Amino acid sequence: MGFPQRKAAIVGVYNTKQARMIEGSSWTLALEAIQGALDDAGLKHSDIDGLSSMMYDASLTAQQMWVEQLGGRPMTYTSHGIAGALVTKAAAAIAAGLTNVVCIYFGNAGMRAGPSKQRAAAEAAPVVRKAPRVPDWDFNIHGAYMSAWYALWTRRYMDQFNAPYENLAEYPVIARYHATLNPASIMGERGEITVQDVIDSPMISSPLHRLDCSLDNDGGYAILVASAEVAKNCRKEPIWVLGGGEGIYTDFYMSFTNDWINDNGQSVRKASEMAFAGAGVTRDDIDVAAMYDCFPVTMARNIEEMGFCSVGEGHEYIKEGHLKLGGKLPTNTDGGLLSHSHCGNPSGMHVVEVVKQLRGECDARQVKDAKIGAVLSQGYAVHGVAGVAILGKD
Amino acid sequence: MTEQPYNKPLPQRLPENEEFWEGLEAGEFRVPKCNNCGYWHWIPYPACRNCLSTDQTWTATSGKGTVFSYTVVHRGPGGFRDDVPYVLAMVEFPEGPRNPIVLGTMVDVDPDAVHTGMPVKVVYEEIPGEDVTIWHFAPDN
Repeated sequence: MGFPQRKAAIVGVYNTKQARMIEGSSWTLALEAIQGALDDAGLKHSDIDGLSSMMYDASLTAQQMWVEQLGGRPMTYTSHGIAGALVTKAAAAIAAGLTNVVCIYFGNAGMRAGPSKQRAAAEAAPVVRKAPRVPDWDFNIHGAYMSAWYALWTRRYMDQFNAPYENLAEYPVIARYHATLNPASIMGERGEITVQDVIDSPMISSPLHRLDCSLDNDGGYAILVASAEVAKNCRKEPIWVLGGGEGIYTDFYMSFTNDWINDNGQSVRKASEMAFAGAGVTRDDIDVAAMYDCFPVTMARNIEEMGFCSVGEGHEYIKEGHLKLGGKLPTNTDGGLLSHSHCGNPSGMHVVEVVKQLRGECDARQVKDAKIGAVLSQGYAVHGVAGVAILGKD
Repeated sequence: MTEQPYNKPLPQRLPENEEFWEGLEAGEFRVPKCNNCGYWHWIPYPACRNCLSTDQTWTATSGKGTVFSYTVVHRGPGGFRDDVPYVLAMVEFPEGPRNPIVLGTMVDVDPDAVHTGMPVKVVYEEIPGEDVTIWHFAPDN
């Protein structure tokens, strides 16, 4: 049995304002996003009967509170993870008759992640008399954090494939260019950058410079996936879920083996192969894409593992400009995590951007006649969690 | 120089991993080795990843490995902020067939001299006033 193509569609999407600090609570920001997506779809909160929360976020108990918030009546479906996988599983659940309208939601206010948060906490903390204790194999014991982790992956990639840093540094340049065409992006107003600007930005964790690193900001978003029956009465044209897949592996940066890059692939490869096979489309059919791009090396590995180029050639694919608007695989046209927004758990915004592209709502950054799009959500350096959704319009 | 209290995160010392922490105190980096299939594992799990046997023994590794990857951190979190620049390394141990890769900071090394493939050894740091010894890596000359 294949993937139930065109049985469910994305009918509503919404990004709240994305900014360094947003007043209010994460709850109110997520609520604003849900209301925005409902308006976009022309649906009411009482139409929602399935809920999907994002990785690290809402536990089942918190989901139950959201069920109360959104109408105080039983819902029939719940899921948890990263956006590409949540869209895929919502579509499968809808096709199976478990639910009719699934809401994927996220909000993050006043809760910066990363070193800035840890430093603020360290400064606010009382004088330390005993060292803080963390789980026994936690990377924080060794002074690691996300940028340092991805610096380790970047160095390994560069050494294994003789990949020049300058090739990878082309990615932030592309992302910033896209952001200049997206009025909602955080960095667009600062204008375009060059590879030399990336190299000249402060070193964070070698070889990564500041402009190689994701933003660290607040924001929210929501996505509504609905049955074909519901979709035909919605305000906007349906963006069909054609195929998808999920992969899960690795124990949060604690275990590694030397097969990070191997012939069989890890989570992203598995999810991608499943998604393209289920959708019955080829890589060449993809008009527009959005992929989790927390650092340049992740983008290089994304396109390799998704099959858009060979393993070890991702850095050259980036250098050749294929990901840029006008290239053969325009990707992250909103500016992505480096120049649009990284609101702490941002994988849903990759879905939002592809939906807007397929609807033709992207103005200056619109990919002409985009009909089929691919979304990749991933985490843990490409071999960890992965979610792929292939989307298409009528 | 007055000894400053250690203000970086430290691991919880749990009973099920007691032999590991005792090993560090004895100058050994011990990992679970499966008595059924012979695989060495890092991080520890209650059962072997290869054959799911729970018959594993904490076994001392050679304590030597090679740098799989490294970074020089210039912006450190929390208690590490004043240590920059410091070197963080992923070190591949020779004990196979699923060779463990272990994360740690490098000490006694010029950051510019670190390279992928560099031979290193585990070194041990007893934390004053705390109940754990932690590990680092140093060049194995």
